[in-house]
Amino acid sequence: MMLENFLQALTAGILAGSIYGLMCVGLALIFGVMRVINFAQGDFMMLGMYAAYYLFAALGVQATFGDNLGPYVAVGLATPLLFAFGYVIHRVLVSRVTGARTAALEGEGHYAQLILTLGIALILQNGGQILFGSVLVSVRTPLSSSAWEIGPLWGDFVSVFVNKSRGIAAVVSVATIAALALLIARTRLGKSLRAAADNPEAATYMGIEVDHAYRIAFGLGAAITSVAGGLLATNYPFQPHIGLEYVIVMYAGVVLGGMGSIIGAFWGGMAIGLVQQLSTLVLPTQLQNAAIFVVFLLIVFLRPQGFFGRVVERT
Amino acid sequence: MLRIEALSAGYTAVPVLNGVSIAVDEGQFVAIVGPNGAGKTTLFKTISGTVGLMAGSIRFLDTDLASVPPHRRAHLGIAHVPEGRQVFPSLTVMENLEMGAYTEAGRRDWTSNIERIFAWLPVLAERRGQLAGTLSGGEQQMLAIGRGLASSPKLLMLDEPSMGLAPAIADFIFERLIEIRRQSGLTVLLVEQRVAEALESADHGYVLEMGRVVLEGNNKTLRADDRVRQAYLGM
Repeated sequence: MMLENFLQALTAGILAGSIYGLMCVGLALIFGVMRVINFAQGDFMMLGMYAAYYLFAALGVQATFGDNLGPYVAVGLATPLLFAFGYVIHRVLVSRVTGARTAALEGEGHYAQLILTLGIALILQNGGQILFGSVLVSVRTPLSSSAWEIGPLWGDFVSVFVNKSRGIAAVVSVATIAALALLIARTRLGKSLRAAADNPEAATYMGIEVDHAYRIAFGLGAAITSVAGGLLATNYPFQPHIGLEYVIVMYAGVVLGGMGSIIGAFWGGMAIGLVQQLSTLVLPTQLQNAAIFVVFLLIVFLRPQGFFGRVVERT
Repeated sequence: MLRIEALSAGYTAVPVLNGVSIAVDEGQFVAIVGPNGAGKTTLFKTISGTVGLMAGSIRFLDTDLASVPPHRRAHLGIAHVPEGRQVFPSLTVMENLEMGAYTEAGRRDWTSNIERIFAWLPVLAERRGQLAGTLSGGEQQMLAIGRGLASSPKLLMLDEPSMGLAPAIADFIFERLIEIRRQSGLTVLLVEQRVAEALESADHGYVLEMGRVVLEGNNKTLRADDRVRQAYLGM
């Protein structure tokens, strides 16, 4: 029984951790790489959830693709919308308080950033409440109430159940991160984003339009987090304030993984998912989140640079 | 090729440069020397567009640079090898060179450029997979120069390539630069505190002090000038 409970919690942890990891990767692009402290990241995720929800339920995706495939088509369609949203938010607002303009200010102008993104967060939450209402909604799919059984293992004693929608969400998350990692590591666009993050002035001398690179990275960060939101929406009912619950997880994951590391952010999110689920074996569920932060503090105490913190500091 | 006329520029309302005029012709090697704080780096940044121009004009080939946004200037053929090297520390040596080749011309000539760069600076070929942040200062300087060459520039601007390096390494880099210039015939604008070496190899030189050109001439005239001999050459 003990073993079965442990395996079940481990599985739940890996599934939750994959989605957390994806969220964290989205924030890592914005916070870890561009050093923009974006309080609205959770609310970008909320927008991604509602975008997927309305595309699915109201704009014909459910009718066209059905209950099983539909939710994932909706997530796919919501992604470019959130990319565009992030791109525009950066162009119109965030670029005014970041980059060359504020580099000379105290704290590199981070104060203005904090207040701006906090303001965006409040507007999105309250605007969301006006537009979407405060009733809990979710992307309904029969996949969320059925499971694959793995096993029985070791004779007839142990079997583990994987909720179908969570299993698919984990696979989509990992695939999305792999695609992003390839984009960042291998393509000309990805390399120019990293160069612009490393040293914007030198990047300009190379002929890279740094502001444009930042807008792309911000849009990508918003889009990635919204994919995580859309996947989450098939399992968890949500309302316009859901961002608050997750933005803390995202920051914790990015810090755990190591500032500036995209792949580290994934493992940071994974660690949080595992701790959250495994803690239920020994602690009451109300203490899940407390357990996350106790472990978080422990890890940061023992390894302040995070799992994948850069050894090479920026010049 | 480059015509700077009556240029004033700076970071705040107080200009660092006051009415500076400098000309670089195609194929020339021009050196700008002067003490710390004379405005040499500011001059380079104004040419590249990261410092704003207050008065005067900068023309490169047939273009008035005032109308060209900073990131487009590399594409016109200006390669700026900045002060303090400023390589991309979290990119590999090869990726740094690829970023150098971000311009249209750099992409077109990539294969032949990379061959020449590796022949001139073999250490870059040895370290191609290493993160630039883990290179020594001299290696980073060579990478910064290689990165500049990878853009297929028409004008190579070098800002104090000897800064912060051990004298032997600085000598080696200087010797490499002369060799690269001899083989490529590239137009070079050099800012340097090692005045003797800079004036020795350059065709033409300017002495910049307190944001103004106080002296100019070909290398013979400058090296024979009493003020230069006393202030910079220690004779």
